[in-house]
Amino acid sequence: MDSTKQGNIKMNKRKLTDMEKYLLIIMIGYIILVSFVNPMFLSFETLFDMFRSGSGTMILALGVMIVIISGGIDVSFTSIAIIGAYCAINLMLKFNINNIYFAFLVSGSIGIFLGSINAIIIYFFKLPTLIVTLGTSSVFYGFMTTFIGTKSIPLAQMPSSLVDFGSKNILTLSSEHGNYGLSVFIIIIVILLFITWFIMQKTMLGRKIIAIGNNEEFAKRIGVNILQTKLFIYCYMGLLSGIMGIIYFSDLKIVNPVTLVGSELMIIAAVVIGGVKLTGGHGTILGTVLGVLLIQLFKSTLVFLGLSTSWNDLFIGCILIFSVCIISYKEKLRNQKELRFSNQ
Amino acid sequence: MENVQLKSRIDILLKYSKKDVGLSVLGIATIMVTFILSITLGKSFFSINNFQSMMFQISEFGFLALGMSIAMLTGGIDLSIVSNAGLSGVLAAFVMSGKIIPITDSNQMFIIILAIVVAITNSILCGLVNGVLIAKISVPPIIATLGTMILFNGIGMALTNGESVGLLVDDYWKFGTSTIGVIPYIFIIMVITMILINIFLSKHKLGKQIYLIGENKIASLFSGQNTERIIIRIYMIIGFLSGIASLIMISRVNSARMGFGDTYQLQAILVAVLAGYDPNGGKGKVLGVVLGITLLQFLQSAFTILNFTPYSKKLIWGSMLLIVMIINYFLNKERKPRKVAVKEVSKK
Repeated sequence: MDSTKQGNIKMNKRKLTDMEKYLLIIMIGYIILVSFVNPMFLSFETLFDMFRSGSGTMILALGVMIVIISGGIDVSFTSIAIIGAYCAINLMLKFNINNIYFAFLVSGSIGIFLGSINAIIIYFFKLPTLIVTLGTSSVFYGFMTTFIGTKSIPLAQMPSSLVDFGSKNILTLSSEHGNYGLSVFIIIIVILLFITWFIMQKTMLGRKIIAIGNNEEFAKRIGVNILQTKLFIYCYMGLLSGIMGIIYFSDLKIVNPVTLVGSELMIIAAVVIGGVKLTGGHGTILGTVLGVLLIQLFKSTLVFLGLSTSWNDLFIGCILIFSVCIISYKEKLRNQKELRFSNQ
Repeated sequence: MENVQLKSRIDILLKYSKKDVGLSVLGIATIMVTFILSITLGKSFFSINNFQSMMFQISEFGFLALGMSIAMLTGGIDLSIVSNAGLSGVLAAFVMSGKIIPITDSNQMFIIILAIVVAITNSILCGLVNGVLIAKISVPPIIATLGTMILFNGIGMALTNGESVGLLVDDYWKFGTSTIGVIPYIFIIMVITMILINIFLSKHKLGKQIYLIGENKIASLFSGQNTERIIIRIYMIIGFLSGIASLIMISRVNSARMGFGDTYQLQAILVAVLAGYDPNGGKGKVLGVVLGITLLQFLQSAFTILNFTPYSKKLIWGSMLLIVMIINYFLNKERKPRKVAVKEVSKK
């Protein structure tokens, strides 16, 4: 009786994976270091600022995580985000619709549509996902910039609902520098985190995604509908990109369609730092969150150490290489012990 | 009896034509594009000036495309070539900027040679890092090179703060821009490199081993090859090619900056795929790279003459990448049944 109870408790309590432990240690060590050098760092203002600027990355990272768990990789999400949001905002201006929900709806729909194109090409032509999405990324982005436009929209012309949404806080504190607060973005992130967690942990769909990532051929043979699952994966990525696009522009307070594209590899790096294996089949949401937080931490705190933002890539590169080395080397040793050979 | 012999001969013939079908498609496409351009653009395209500027651009980019295609030959990919070239270029530029060693008239030659040595050493070391990560630690190539891409970029950014480093050595810049007749020196260097790499891949032992590894890594491991050492060497060669590319880049603009040539990343992958290199490895020829670069450069020059926006180039390149991949899929599909049986056995 006693032992079964203990067993149950153990099952409910998920142990942290190694990667999550390393990440936590690095983060705590880094925070201690920075606050030692500059005590100004330890404040709610920094924290809220980090949440605000990291929210876009967080949303995209959730989608990227699912794509990578399914054994693929997507580099077209930043162009999808920009296209969705830019088209939505242009539509709003053209038809004088001043509603933030409309923006999310249009942007999300465009994202889903473009994501489905990715999924269809990947499924029907059995092509490497990196190369397909590299291609579609330039096609989508080139199409938009050629036929829809590259003109940026300044703050004065932006729909007021979008600007209001970007500066809305759910919690406002004041300091000697003025007011600051926890952005409303955090609600969206919590909702999306919950939805993603629910899909991956509680639904059959999540199991199917993991199965595909482990071995697509086996998944097919046990009856997983590959097309359906892939459609879901890439459409979900598209939807998240669409949502992110609106948040990104409302946070920036200027609509500039030539930004963001080119930063996709950094977001993939954040996900990989979080311990999601690029060969597919493995990955945790907590790890992804930690990975994004770590990158965000570096991005926003180098100033406190007196370094310019040019040092950003150096730190992230080191941590990325360090984390993939740990994961890969452990796997290599295990494979050697079990006499497994892989073509990777 | 005779019939059987004839049939087997035809089979062999078909096999060979199908083997190079991707290359023939590419060749036909190049000829067609040249034909269309000659009709529509005429003299503005086929001028000596235009061809000379194309040669300059090709030689800058050719080394990177060659590096990427060799990486794809092994079934990997190298995302770090551009940032490797950027970092090597910045280091060489530091040497030639006169900040470290003051430049006088007498030591110019020495400084140029020192800069070349520094850039090439650095690029080979960067390649070594890639190779060790991929071969010894078994990091998947795409993620290893993604990491090193960010790292090399980071080192370069930290060194320069994102600013450009100017060169103060005149002779070096002259070399990059001068020509023999109408042909630039750097173009000749690239042609020689292409020929050497072609001979290396088709005749040298290591070159043949690269194809074997790309086709089936486990099989080549069990056939007694030291796959780890071979892969490390391959990535060092790729790094070396990036190093040369960096030297050419800084000679063309007379300065170095991180992020210069970022657009080459997609283009290099595009050329490799266009050239018939299978992303899963084991297939592809240098001739394909030559054709791919020519085709791309012809189109790019035509875009410039026609005054297209740079964004429409992106659209057309992206579509070309997808279309070529899809055509290759259909061409491969025809001969798949025979191949599946072989592959299944080799995987088990």
